[in-house]
Amino acid sequence: MIEVRNLTKTYRVPLKAPGFVGSVRSLFSRAYKDVEAVKDLSFTIQQGERVGFLGPNGAGKTTTLKMLAGLLHPTSGAVTVLGARPQDRDSAFLRQITLVMGQKQQLLWDLPPRETFELNRAMYGIPRAEFTNTLDELISLLRIEPLLDKPVRNLSLGERMKCELAAALLHRPRVLFLDEPTIGLDVEMQVQVRQFIAGINQRFGATVLLTSHYMQDIAALTPRLLVIDEGRLRYDGALTELAREMAPERRVVVRSVEPALVPLGFVEDGGKMIASVAPEAVNAILARALAAVPLAELGVEETPLEEVMGRYFRKEAAAPPPEGAA
Amino acid sequence: MRSGLILALVRVALMTALQYRASFLLEFFVGVGTTASVVLPLVFVFDHTASVAGWSLHASLLVAAFFLVLQAMVGGLVEPNLGALVEGVRSGQLDYLLLKPPDAQFVASFQRVAPARLWDLLGGAIVGAYALSALPTPTAAGVVTAALLLFAGLAAVYGLWVLVICTSFWFVRVDNLRYLLGAVVDAGRWPVSIYTGWVRIFLTMVVPVALVTSYPALALLGRLDTGLAVQAVVVAVGMLVVSRVAWVQALRQYTSASS
Amino acid sequence: MIAAARAFPTLLRIAVAEMVAYRAEMVIWILTATLPLVMLALWNAASAGGPLDGFGQADFARYFAVTLLVRQLTGVWVLWELNQQIRTGALSPQLLRPMNPLWWQFAETIAAIPWRLLVLGPVLAGVALWRPEIVFVPTLAAAAGFAVSLVLALLVAWFVQCLFGILAFWFDQSLGLFQVWFFVWALLSGYVVPLPLLPTSVAAVATYLPFHASLGAPVEVLLGFAPVGPTLAIQAAWVAVLGAATYLTWNAGLRRYGAVGA
Repeated sequence: MIEVRNLTKTYRVPLKAPGFVGSVRSLFSRAYKDVEAVKDLSFTIQQGERVGFLGPNGAGKTTTLKMLAGLLHPTSGAVTVLGARPQDRDSAFLRQITLVMGQKQQLLWDLPPRETFELNRAMYGIPRAEFTNTLDELISLLRIEPLLDKPVRNLSLGERMKCELAAALLHRPRVLFLDEPTIGLDVEMQVQVRQFIAGINQRFGATVLLTSHYMQDIAALTPRLLVIDEGRLRYDGALTELAREMAPERRVVVRSVEPALVPLGFVEDGGKMIASVAPEAVNAILARALAAVPLAELGVEETPLEEVMGRYFRKEAAAPPPEGAA
Repeated sequence: MRSGLILALVRVALMTALQYRASFLLEFFVGVGTTASVVLPLVFVFDHTASVAGWSLHASLLVAAFFLVLQAMVGGLVEPNLGALVEGVRSGQLDYLLLKPPDAQFVASFQRVAPARLWDLLGGAIVGAYALSALPTPTAAGVVTAALLLFAGLAAVYGLWVLVICTSFWFVRVDNLRYLLGAVVDAGRWPVSIYTGWVRIFLTMVVPVALVTSYPALALLGRLDTGLAVQAVVVAVGMLVVSRVAWVQALRQYTSASS
Repeated sequence: MIAAARAFPTLLRIAVAEMVAYRAEMVIWILTATLPLVMLALWNAASAGGPLDGFGQADFARYFAVTLLVRQLTGVWVLWELNQQIRTGALSPQLLRPMNPLWWQFAETIAAIPWRLLVLGPVLAGVALWRPEIVFVPTLAAAAGFAVSLVLALLVAWFVQCLFGILAFWFDQSLGLFQVWFFVWALLSGYVVPLPLLPTSVAAVATYLPFHASLGAPVEVLLGFAPVGPTLAIQAAWVAVLGAATYLTWNAGLRRYGAVGA
């Protein structure tokens, strides 16, 4: 129900010549440069999926999301969301989607969140009974009862984010676009937000599209991953597949500094001892480590996601894929 | 050294202005509009009468010329800087300024220049020249007194601006008070004699815009009595002292509160 | 459109709540738009020696008091809001909702009116105390005409600012352009000079221009020196023209916004 074919977005940026003479010259003529923010993106997302967009800063993730929501118009290519062209901004279309941007807020600043909720109710034309039900559900899921009557400017960033999420979901949209939803939040709040989004996916059956810098968002929420780099789609598939391909090894971690482990292949790293081994070799090295240091605290971890992605991008940099995506 | 700094500042401001070429043209028209909006009402009034409160058209235009100079100074120098201060209080960026060694007030006051207001200065010069062309030539003493009063008046208005800005340190909600000050200063575009009673006192002592516009004009016309001139200087000095005290107080309160 | 009309009362209620939260700033903004009083001082001094073209001191006082009232009641600031929202991209969240953001802006404009009356009350009372002879009771026809004319004037002012605000989709300088408009408006709308006191040829043309339609028209209808019918007709024509222009350019503006991004 989200179909994207050869989606491209190109900006024309005016060039500024340096120096005073350049500024005077620019009074008379202007040079432009074409910047390709998104190039030839193609993918399909089904109803109810949870998909993550991952990529470096400026890769085109937010641009893509905005095109899906209808805020930006594609330069070329086709986008269909729920059977509609987002850029037409049909009323019916807008009622079924929502976009939450971490940096831009819709809550009225000087009034309590409740007032913004009422405003949205009026703007979306939500019948009173339905509105009350949805609101109550959102309040209990987000645990924002005590915040509802405080002016928004008195809320902390995390509290504001939760209220923003509530405001964005009052009309029970079928598609939920989230742009960096956990940015700037403390760890506990990030966990709460992730749980909430997963909950919405289950209870409302809403499709979730999420962009994020935080690997934990992707790992916790979105089994399917779209990697976007320099405007192109580099990978489209399950996160676990990518991890297995890029970083098949396991890390055996001992949470104390034990010199005895060094000959076994452990390296000290910030108060811990770490050894990277192939999955088949984990048991063997565990046995040997325990034999060497019986009372040590041992753990087995997968390679951190940052590492996985780091390797992926380094590989991409070394041998870019052919035109047209994964 | 300072002049080199000022030159560099003007150069940067001009470059930024040139970058937006349509802006440049527009600012010219805004300048013309500002001058016209000050001059034309007077022209319309004097279409119907030869004298208003003892002032002729050309004498009134002299006041208007000084008013344009005031607008240029306030709009070009005072407002961009003190306005930015208010934003700094809101955003918390003021702290960076306060970490710097030179006297905070001076640095804060002159970092930015809005060159667009030069048109008002030009307008004021043209209007002033036109007004003087039909008036008896001022004496040397008159010119000196006028310059002195203009300077004193500008200093007083500057002090008043600082005072108003200090309020935004205490009450962030009323940081648009400076726009109200602008509206009151607007009353200075006419010769102060047209105002009576407490309004006239207000415009010479509390919001002493008359010091900048009417008094220098009176000096050039040779109609200023010394008493008024002295009063003007006293008010100016008083305003600067009060504003300085308020500034120091406000800073003290700000730094102790926001730690 | 119908959905918007149904939602408008709620929008208005919330906007009123917002104005209460902003009251300190609002009062100051209202007090800032008091140029008519400055103009009155000048014309009052000018007519001290006798009426100018039929306007005596009391006439000027009455004229500028009503002008101040009308200026405030047709007070619009959507231009600045649009400028800021387009520049910073704050318009985007509003575009996600299935209602034109201008409706909310309009609700805020209306919600400010009670405050304007509250603040103006003492000011106008002050002027009346100074010149008691200016107090008058308008005829029913004049009052009715005034009410309609006032609404039309507000709409003209609204659409004008919307149009300049929409320019911000393409240009950085819409505020500057509006400033130039404002200068012309001040001179030709009756704001600084009553139209009857302008040179006759200028006044004749000015009666047909949108400047007069957004301020001078209701003032003159109330005070009885403009014919109600023709004045309202000219105003209504401007509302239609500017309204249509706003509708068309808004959509073009949104396409531009979508093309260049925010």
